[in-house]
Amino acid sequence: MFKKFGALCLALFSAACSAPDAIYVSGSSTVLPPVSKAAEKFSAETGISVIVNAGGSGGGFNQLAEGQSDIGMMSRNITSGELEAFKTINFTEVAIGRDAVVPSISSEIYEAGVTLLSISQIADIYTGDIRNWSEVGGPDRDIFVIDKEANRGTRQVFMDVVLGDPKAEAAGADLVTGSNNEEQTALVQSNAGIGMLSVAWLNDDVRGLAIVLPNGKTIEPSIENIRAGTYPFVRDLNVVKRSDLKPSANQFITYLLGPDGQKLVEESGYIGIAN
Amino acid sequence: MRSLRGLRKLQGLRLYALACGTVSLTIVFTIIATLFLQSLPVLMAENTNLMGTHWNPGKGQFGILPMLFGSLFVMSIAVAVAFPLGLLAAIYIAETRSSKLRRVLKSFLELLAGIPSIVYGLIGVAYLNIWVADLFDLQSGRVILTAGILLGIMILPTFLTLTEDAISAVPVKFRENAKSLGLYRHEVFFSIILPQAKTGIAGAGLLALGRALGETMAVMLVIGSLDRLPKPLLNPLSSGQTITSKLGREVPESAFGSVHFSALVFMSLIIVCITVTLTIVSRYLFRKTGADV
Repeated sequence: MFKKFGALCLALFSAACSAPDAIYVSGSSTVLPPVSKAAEKFSAETGISVIVNAGGSGGGFNQLAEGQSDIGMMSRNITSGELEAFKTINFTEVAIGRDAVVPSISSEIYEAGVTLLSISQIADIYTGDIRNWSEVGGPDRDIFVIDKEANRGTRQVFMDVVLGDPKAEAAGADLVTGSNNEEQTALVQSNAGIGMLSVAWLNDDVRGLAIVLPNGKTIEPSIENIRAGTYPFVRDLNVVKRSDLKPSANQFITYLLGPDGQKLVEESGYIGIAN
Repeated sequence: MRSLRGLRKLQGLRLYALACGTVSLTIVFTIIATLFLQSLPVLMAENTNLMGTHWNPGKGQFGILPMLFGSLFVMSIAVAVAFPLGLLAAIYIAETRSSKLRRVLKSFLELLAGIPSIVYGLIGVAYLNIWVADLFDLQSGRVILTAGILLGIMILPTFLTLTEDAISAVPVKFRENAKSLGLYRHEVFFSIILPQAKTGIAGAGLLALGRALGETMAVMLVIGSLDRLPKPLLNPLSSGQTITSKLGREVPESAFGSVHFSALVFMSLIIVCITVTLTIVSRYLFRKTGADV
């Protein structure tokens, strides 16, 4: 009995020891969908296992920098503060796709007539100066403002455009969420919510807003506008590597950039980088 | 010869016990020392407004007040939910049911205490959160009240089973003497049993409080993660943040050794200090009950 148990333990132990061959990827929940799909196919083709975890861009960078992962996923660029914290390490960002952060609202408000907002209106909503949908042409209902955790790439891209500072505080926020999934759920459950989502998370219950630019032009959150870069919240989806990257992980990044990987990026609702 | 070997064996056992004891003590002290050391950077850093209300790591603002307040607020709601329920249920089980039924009921309750907190969290997200939103006509049920109720349900089994132990521990002779004096059942309970059991009940309450303060996952999922004091201050229908939910969300995002990390460690030091105090006081109370009986 105990011998059997011992043998089982030994087998498990040796299996666990062989795991270091695996490639560990973690970070942005926006970059995650194409990467996890690619990981599956890559593993099937090469036999190298790839373990993909979410956790946000900031978390992805920290895990990479601290050596807990091989590749970080980031939906924003590395900040100077982050580079400062790990001066001795050399990081390279590789864009694998392009995405837009879209100011998104509950479908009830969209159907009631709010389909576009200017950047300054969005800014006023997030600073708490506009508190009711009627002030922007919607029904008489309090705006439920959903913010995201400070280190999330989506938030930093969004706040950089809206308030001119990726670290700006949003005094008007009523709720703070983490991943895209969490934010999407909060928007669906609310009937007067506004939040920020990656374009791949929009659906019938969560609608993306068109943006009125300062020159009066209205830009729809369409694939063409994101590809052309005219939608104001366009960003690159990056994977980040260190100079001491192991060969198998490098092979995986090459796969992401290749035709198979890029196809998965587009299937996930983003724009391939070759375009 | 044989007894000598026995003695050696005994000594070996003693050494082993000593080693085990030392290891566990070392672990406790290492944790507390680490928390202290890692808290230093934020205590030394300037202009962090540590006791302020603004938390913005990007700008070097580490006001922990909203989280501290959130923890205490959620804990108070949990207590308000769990204590009356727990106390009455404990009285019911201990005083009115047969000992056989008592054992069955108690084992179910103890089963409840063993359910992982993430499971409660999922139930909170799937149902409680929506019920609270519907009931108060809110845009989102991820508010302090939801977290408080959920936490109340979570600490209920701990509180209930310990309270029930305290009530049942009152010796039968007290009850029988009281009954033979012609006291009514409620008189027996309130004048004889409750005074005997009250330190035990208080101890149970404090242990449950400790659990409420330390709970992370379930709270994190339903509280709304807003690092701000509610407006007005005692509004339970606003989103908030507890120290533990803050730690759960931000520790993976902070770089080890940064001031940000240090601020998070400082908050955990505070929560550890509070729970250690609660545990010590409750142990003291339990010991007192033991001596009384």
